[in-house]
Amino acid sequence: MLQHILPASGLLFTLENILWINIGVFIGSVFAAIPGLSVILCVILFLPVTYSMTAIPGMMFLLGIYCAGGYGGSVSAILINTPGTPHAAATMLDGHPLSEQGRTKAALKIALYASTFGGIFSALTLLFLGPQVAKVAAQLGTAEYFMVCVFGLTIIAGVSGKSMIKGLISACLGLLISCIGADPMTSYDRFTFGVTRLYLGLDLAVCLIGLFALVEIMAKAEKKPGRLDLNAEKIKDDGVITKDEYKRMIRPTIVSSIIGVMVGIIPGTGASEASWFSYNTAKNMSKRKEEFGHGSVEGIAAAESANNAVTGATLIPLLTLGIPGDGTVAIMLSALMINGLNPGLSLFTTQGDIMYAIMLGLILVNLFMLLQGKFLTSLFAKVVSIPQEILTPIIVIFCFAGAYSVNENYFDVGVALIFGILAWVLRKLELPPVPILLGLVLGSMTETNFRRALLISNGSPKIFFSSVYCIIFLILIAAAVGTIVRGKVLERKAAAKKED
Amino acid sequence: MKDQLDRLDARLDAIGKRLGEKELRFPVDLVTGILFALFALVILWVMPDQVVVSEKDVVNGRAFPTLLMAVMLLCCVMLIGKELYKLATKQPLTWKTINLLVEIKALIILAILAGTYFLSKLTGLFVVGGVFCCLGFLIYFRCRKPSYYIITVALAVGIWAAFRFVLGVDF
Repeated sequence: MLQHILPASGLLFTLENILWINIGVFIGSVFAAIPGLSVILCVILFLPVTYSMTAIPGMMFLLGIYCAGGYGGSVSAILINTPGTPHAAATMLDGHPLSEQGRTKAALKIALYASTFGGIFSALTLLFLGPQVAKVAAQLGTAEYFMVCVFGLTIIAGVSGKSMIKGLISACLGLLISCIGADPMTSYDRFTFGVTRLYLGLDLAVCLIGLFALVEIMAKAEKKPGRLDLNAEKIKDDGVITKDEYKRMIRPTIVSSIIGVMVGIIPGTGASEASWFSYNTAKNMSKRKEEFGHGSVEGIAAAESANNAVTGATLIPLLTLGIPGDGTVAIMLSALMINGLNPGLSLFTTQGDIMYAIMLGLILVNLFMLLQGKFLTSLFAKVVSIPQEILTPIIVIFCFAGAYSVNENYFDVGVALIFGILAWVLRKLELPPVPILLGLVLGSMTETNFRRALLISNGSPKIFFSSVYCIIFLILIAAAVGTIVRGKVLERKAAAKKED
Repeated sequence: MKDQLDRLDARLDAIGKRLGEKELRFPVDLVTGILFALFALVILWVMPDQVVVSEKDVVNGRAFPTLLMAVMLLCCVMLIGKELYKLATKQPLTWKTINLLVEIKALIILAILAGTYFLSKLTGLFVVGGVFCCLGFLIYFRCRKPSYYIITVALAVGIWAAFRFVLGVDF
């Protein structure tokens, strides 16, 4: 590891990278602070921008958005009692009451410090644990890799919506869409329906703009436009955190960071689960349980450190096995693969310098998030009150400009529009979009490993049951399906009981 | 002018109220199962035309999509079977309610998006579509503040200029 650290630092500490980190952190904070805009939407909108960049600045920019999104969501949660992102909901429980007590700045500072600690803890875990997991991943062959892909897809399909079956239908749809274009092994065209342009396949960013961004615009039909009124004077308190409060923050911050990392490593779980779980744990551990829900510093610290501790942890299965922990990092996987960086041990050996630069960069991202949070929070807060009337067309223009700029043609804009309509129909049928995203990202890898494995075995499917790792993954898949189905049944029973 | 706009707003509100009361219910899981089963069958049907293979291949380009469609069909059968079982045992099906007003509003938004796309494509000038998009949405939101129109159009032109002159995108 040490042999990579020095050259990686040289690659990382350039003016270009620092600039892109800061732009990413700024954009991520702003997007996450606005209720209704999500971090995934932000990453999708700006993904085309990274196409012209090399791996390190591109990833730094996207990681900046991703990590700052973890903190940005807390700004509106604390200020206006509306979480900017779903995982900031737990922060809102104590953040807003503390703000109501005239300590808005203090609440924001607690959230910022806890987020930074969680983020750095997570980045360090990635730095030390990532290469070790990659060594295990190096022992996997094509059949095992296919099972890994199936495992990732099954979990995401299972947890993404109300029904696991519908999640699997979505995943199959995403995988099928990834088949459009040239066959990865023979280069014959597939499902092009006579459209020559489809031979190149569909660009991931273009599909995602339709699936996640344009559909959100159409979803404005479901809501009334409203302006979130913010009193900027609220942030002008002294923001002092007492020594006693700092002391009380330490334990929940550390425990929640560990929980965040553990939750983040498991594919399909995410920041929301981590922040709620940590919040409850902190409440149970606290000597001042009665303060929870009324402006507890421990509550804010627990929720925020946990949701940012997820960020680095989700990259562990991504970089080592190619399994994205959630939708946002799935997009990052595509950004990596565009630059020829394929997940696995080789990423840590042959591309070690770049990989370590990215992992070290995650620490830097969190430090810049701390700096921007300290000096620019008032600005982020003002953005919260941008009216929907202005925001909506601007997002559309960004979507269309992004889709066009991928290949500089209007065909892609049309494709984005078609995917927007498709996403709207899928929404009506209650089919989750995240498994489609996973299918699109993992499609090529899944198919290539599936076919290579069958080629090795001369067409015999026995190869998928032949090795220890295959059997381990089969057991894991069965266990995951069992757990998810059991969870859904219990959820339905609880809902039925509640209705009665 | 203000009176006319007020009258128009009142008329739109009245239409909206009427449409808002109209709802459509459908058994969502059953419909999804049938739709995607048909989709999978269509894909399997067009596969020989759409995926060219060589006879020499041990595992050809049809293997993976066929596997996917088989899984999709299996899922659809499970979804339909589950709903039919509910029907047979007289349990309530999973229903989805669609509000007519929401769908019409979504169609208007889609029309604005399509208009933006076609205007940009036909004129070859992205900024024309961008300005149309801004005006379309501001009218959709029934915005009456002139400042919003100025700010939004200026931002649209700014974004186009940034992509055109800073990022070098030719549109």
